[in-house]
Amino acid sequence: MHITHLSLTNFRNYARLEQSFPDGVIILYGNNAQGKTSLLESIYYMATSRSPYTQSDRQLISWLVLGDPLPFARLVAEISTAEGLKRVEVTLAKKLVGKSYRFVKEIRVNGLPRKVMDLLGQIRVVLFLPQDMALVEGSPSERRRYLNITLCQTNPDYCRALNQYEKVLKQRNALLKQLQENDQRRGRRSDTSQLAFWDEKLAAHGACLIAGRFRLVKELETRAQAIHRDLSGQDENLRMRYEPGFDVTDQPSGQMGFSTGDLGASALPQLPQEEITSLFIDSLRKNYALDISRGITTIGPQRDELRFLINGYDLGIYGSRGQGRTTVLALKLAELTWMEEQTGEPPILLLDEVAAELDPHRRGYLLERIDNVRQVLMTTAEPALLEDMLHVGATRWRVKAGAIEHTD
Amino acid sequence: MSKAVPASVTRLIEEFARLPGIGTKTAARLTYYLLRAPDEHTLALSEALRDLKTSTRTCSICHNITETDPCAVCADENRDAGLICVVEEPLDVLAIERTGTFTGRYHVLHGAINPMEGIGPDQLRIRELLARIGTPDVREIILATNVGLEGDATAMYIYQRARGKVRITRLARGLPVGGDLEYADSVTLAGALDGRREMDGD
Repeated sequence: MHITHLSLTNFRNYARLEQSFPDGVIILYGNNAQGKTSLLESIYYMATSRSPYTQSDRQLISWLVLGDPLPFARLVAEISTAEGLKRVEVTLAKKLVGKSYRFVKEIRVNGLPRKVMDLLGQIRVVLFLPQDMALVEGSPSERRRYLNITLCQTNPDYCRALNQYEKVLKQRNALLKQLQENDQRRGRRSDTSQLAFWDEKLAAHGACLIAGRFRLVKELETRAQAIHRDLSGQDENLRMRYEPGFDVTDQPSGQMGFSTGDLGASALPQLPQEEITSLFIDSLRKNYALDISRGITTIGPQRDELRFLINGYDLGIYGSRGQGRTTVLALKLAELTWMEEQTGEPPILLLDEVAAELDPHRRGYLLERIDNVRQVLMTTAEPALLEDMLHVGATRWRVKAGAIEHTD
Repeated sequence: MSKAVPASVTRLIEEFARLPGIGTKTAARLTYYLLRAPDEHTLALSEALRDLKTSTRTCSICHNITETDPCAVCADENRDAGLICVVEEPLDVLAIERTGTFTGRYHVLHGAINPMEGIGPDQLRIRELLARIGTPDVREIILATNVGLEGDATAMYIYQRARGKVRITRLARGLPVGGDLEYADSVTLAGALDGRREMDGD
C-alpha cells in the first residue's frame, strides 16, 4: 500500500499541508526541528492511533492554536491499497464532554464515522526509530508495546482482546485493592468468590494475547534469524524467546496430559487457546493470597517478557551495542516481510534518522532489502548518505518550518 | 453570571445545569421559559419536584421506586410471584413493562458490580434478592442485567449465590427485530451465532 495524498491541519508545526505523494523512496531532509519527524509521526498516528513520542494527544496539536477556545488538528490520508482507494481522516479536537473540556478523537474511513479500533489496520506501517535501538536492552514494557502494535495492525481479534483485557485487569485490580483493605481492617481473609468472574474473563482474553504473541514471536524469529545471519556473518545465531507472564512449571505434571517439567514455560503457548485459558485460571487462583496482599494482579500478559538470545546469551544483559543494532534491524526487516505475508501487500516503511544510527554495512543492507517496498519515507539530515546507496532514484523533499520544498 | 441576572434566576439556571444532558445554555432557556410561563404552570412544576422526593420511596420487596409500599406490581395478585426479573435500574423495569408480555415480578438492584467505582455486592440489593429466593414460592429468576462487563459480573455473582436454589435464566443475546444481518456489529452477531436455537415448526 502507499499514501497518495496527505493533508495536515494544525498538526505539530504543520499549520497547513497539502501534499501528493509518489510511491518509491521519499527522502525528507533539512535541519532539525523543521517537521521531518512530525510528518512520519502523522502517518504513524493514523495507522496506530498513537504517537511514538507522546502519550498525550494534546501535544500533537500545533501550539500556535492551543490557545484558541476550541483548538483542533486534522489529518487526512488518501491511500492506494490492494483493496482499492481509501480515505482515512482523524480529527483531534477539544470538546465539551459532560461538564469538562477534553481532547476527543474522531475517525472517518471513506467518509463514515468509525471507532478507534476500526482505524487500526487501515494504514499499515513499520516504523523504525533511533530509539528502537533500545528495544533489546530497554524495559520489557517496550517490547510488549512493540508486540501489541504489530499485532493490532494485522489482527482485529487481538486488538479487541487487548482492549477487553485491559478493562478486566483494571476491574480485577480495583477488587483486589478492596479485598486487601478488608483484610487489613478486619484482620481476616476476605471472601474471594467475587474474583471468579474476573478470573474467567481475564484468562479468556489473556489466552488470546498469549497465543497471538507466541505465534508472532515464532514467525518473527525464523525471519529475523536468517536476516541476522546474513548481516553478522555465519557465527551468530539469533533466538527470540517469549516468556508468558505466569509460571506454569508449578502445575502438577501430567494434569493437562503433558509434563510441564520437561518443557518449561516456553511450552505453554504451543497449547490450544482453551488450555492456556484453564492453566491461566488455575494460576490466578493459586495466587489469590499474593494478589490480595499486593492489591494487584501479579501474573498475566501484562508481565510478559520477550528475550533476544545470541548463541544462547541474553542480549539484553550481555550484548554489545552493535549486536543490539543488528538484532533490531533484523527484527524490523522481519516485521516488514511478515506483515506483507499476512496482508498480501507490503506496509509503508517509515525510517526516522536511521542512517545516523547504522554503519555503512548495515545501512547498505537495509536499503537493499527494502527494494520491493512500495513506499518508504525516510528522514535524514544528510541525504547524500542515503542516495549513494539506493538502487533506484528517490524523491527528495526539503522540509523547512512546517512546509515541503521540492528541490528536484 | 452577570450582575444583570437576579440571584434567584442564576440559582435556577445552575440547578438545571447540574442535570444530565443539560448545559448552561439549555438551563438558561428553560429558566426564562418558566419565568414567562403562567404562574400555575411553574408552581405545578415545583410541586411535582417536591413530591418526587417526599412521596416516593423504594418498595420493600422489589426495591423499585414507588409511592405505595408494596409497589403496584408487588401488590398485584395477578402477577406471578414465582417469577422474578432482576434488573439494574428502575428504568429497566419500564422497558420490560413496555413489552406487555412479562407477567412476573421484579427485583431492582440499583446498579451493577463495578470494583473501579467501589460498587460491590454489598452496595447493591443482592442480599435482599437472595432472601426473596429463599422463600418457597419463587421458581425462577431471570437475570436481565445489562450485557457488558459489569452487568455480566453481576449476573455471574448472583448465579453463584443462588445456584441450586432456584431456576436461573439469563436474557438471550442476539439480533434486534428488523435488523439486517449485514449491519449487525460483529460482537452481537457472534453472540447470536453462539446462542442459536433449534428450529421447531410448531
